[in-house]
Amino acid sequence: MTVTAASERRPRLPWFVTFLARRLTWALVTLFIFLTAVFFFMQVWVPYSWATQFLGPDRGEAYRAALEAAGLNRPLPERYADFMLGLVGGDLGSSFSGSPVVDLIREALPVTLTVFIAGTVLGWVLGEMLGRLGSWNRGRGAGSVIAVLGVLSATIFPPFLVFLLVRWLRGPLLELRAAIGLPTDSLVLWREAVIGEPGALSPGDVRWLIALGLTAALVAGLLVRSYGRRHQLPLVEALALPAMLAAVGVGIWAAGLGPHALDLLYRADIGASTGRGSPALALFGIVLISFGQVMLLMRAGMDAERTEDYVLTGRAKGLTERAVRDRHVARNVMAPVLAGSFLSFPTVLAGMIIVEYELEMEGLSSVLFSAIEFQDVPVIMGVLVVLGLIGVGFRLVTDFTIAVLDPRLRRGRA
Amino acid sequence: MTAVPEQIRGSAPTVRRTGWRTLLNAKILFGIGILGLFLLLTVAQPLLSATVWADQPQVYDPRFGFDTGITHPSAPSLDHWLGTNSLGRDVFSMLIHATPPTLLIAIVAASSIAAVSLLAGSIAGYRRGWVDGFVSHLSDAMVLLPAMVAVFIVGIGRSNQEFGSLQVGLTFGVLYGLGPATATVRAATMTVAAHPFIEAARVAGGGGGWIITRHVLPHLYSHAAVQAMIGATGAVIADAFLSFRSAVGEDYGFGLMVYDGIVWSSLMAGIAPPPWWIMLAGAGAITLLAAAFYLIGVGLREALDPRSGGILG
Repeated sequence: MTVTAASERRPRLPWFVTFLARRLTWALVTLFIFLTAVFFFMQVWVPYSWATQFLGPDRGEAYRAALEAAGLNRPLPERYADFMLGLVGGDLGSSFSGSPVVDLIREALPVTLTVFIAGTVLGWVLGEMLGRLGSWNRGRGAGSVIAVLGVLSATIFPPFLVFLLVRWLRGPLLELRAAIGLPTDSLVLWREAVIGEPGALSPGDVRWLIALGLTAALVAGLLVRSYGRRHQLPLVEALALPAMLAAVGVGIWAAGLGPHALDLLYRADIGASTGRGSPALALFGIVLISFGQVMLLMRAGMDAERTEDYVLTGRAKGLTERAVRDRHVARNVMAPVLAGSFLSFPTVLAGMIIVEYELEMEGLSSVLFSAIEFQDVPVIMGVLVVLGLIGVGFRLVTDFTIAVLDPRLRRGRA
Repeated sequence: MTAVPEQIRGSAPTVRRTGWRTLLNAKILFGIGILGLFLLLTVAQPLLSATVWADQPQVYDPRFGFDTGITHPSAPSLDHWLGTNSLGRDVFSMLIHATPPTLLIAIVAASSIAAVSLLAGSIAGYRRGWVDGFVSHLSDAMVLLPAMVAVFIVGIGRSNQEFGSLQVGLTFGVLYGLGPATATVRAATMTVAAHPFIEAARVAGGGGGWIITRHVLPHLYSHAAVQAMIGATGAVIADAFLSFRSAVGEDYGFGLMVYDGIVWSSLMAGIAPPPWWIMLAGAGAITLLAAAFYLIGVGLREALDPRSGGILG
């Protein structure tokens, strides 16, 4: 009781200020450990040096010169300090080919971010919905279909089969694209028109714009959706996400970026002329990889929760079945499911890298694999750092959402 | 412990308490069945060579075999159950050849995940304090470094001699073990440590090491097993992509079979239909093996921990 009294006397900050401050401190410490691990993983554990790769077993003058050029002859602590201090200033060093790593990544990141954010959010929405309905309709037709789908999604959609699936789907999709007369080379034409024109947005900028717009639309859509659910407005709940996405689409079109956005949606490939990569297809792959886990967790959680007393109470006081399911049971289950689904983050990320590789998209995956091929250590480290940052951001968003859902978790470690 | 009354002994499920019968639910049985098929495959080569393939065993050699009677690649037939690839190798024989190294990876990964997560997770969750601070931050950081990506970074471009099954399994197992697996086991340890029977053991004069090994660990095996199985799934997939991507080893992996089919179909695009049987054999084997480990993991979780419904991964 004394604790309550003490906290009442102090002027109290809103819970999310202290919560975010605590989580940000956590994120900084975790990032520090992660970056240290990445550094030692790449510089000590990974058993190669790019110099030996190309110069063979001869450790003569040329080898020493190559080491010197790459800065690899300096003592380890010095390199470590350099790496960490560089990161503080946002400098990831330069690739062995000479260009700054930050530039390489800035070019590649928007495509990956767009696909990752949209894919995980859509996978979550789909998994949450199916899991919720699957548990509530257990034993009936829809419930059985969802149960089978759950086991299938968890067992037959590991990245490798998705990989084959997108490969097979790509052919028909290309034919469809040609059949309905979509231009196949608008991006090339547009790039040629834009290059050299002062003040024009570069393709990279447009991609960033689309990535950020899409993220904003998804966040706003989810917020409106949960508002609709809480206030029992089924129409608002159902239309929130599509409407927000449509609004961003109209906005992009009105800004005169329409064809290019469309182009980015169905093709963001390395050669820009092979017409292979397709973020839309990649999105499909990520949703397949990520929704199964969420759905199974959600279903199991709902199953465990539906025999609780408050469900009976809700029904007894005349709540509709839908209100009991969505506003009471689902809300209770969602927080632990979110926490659990974060642990599958590495799987989804690795799956995305495989799918991106298969579709030859101009994303992080292509940067990573070409860097591995050329043993370009600074670039590999840069990609790992960015993956870590994505992970930390993802974790912070998840933790915050959990704290919003469950007030008990606002004080302790979420 | 006989003197301790029943009500303070806690009720966390162990294998002994749950009983073997509930352990054998449909998912676990299905997973074990699939694994059994793969184990059969590992001994199939000498058996088949002695019986069905006895007339001409050299045709079915996974590395050098060639059937002169037909054109290659050929679709599945009575002679070649899964067809042949573009070089004339029997796909079924390749599949058999690729099975033992993949199983080895899964076993190495699973056991290292279990070992690492039990060690780090139980000590951190029981001792708390700075040890826990360090371990939980480390595992949070390791979740950010996907084990699969790490395996790609180390393994791509390396031959099987340099970076073989053992190394793939260990690399994946240690990284995954320190990451999601340790996080899960640590959380479970804290739940177990809150039970009254731990307090009772402490009052009885038990030291930390004794309590962890005798009273905490038995309750953690199920959590570690689930993580080990799910991790093994990842390791199998990582290896498949590695063998797909690097294509430098002499030995066939499942991924290399898929690669084989894809290369042939892009070479012959528009001329010949793609050899779906090669790709399907490889991808199907990967998927089945991964599914087996996943099913066993999920089944174990359902049998041993029905209440929490696998909420923590």
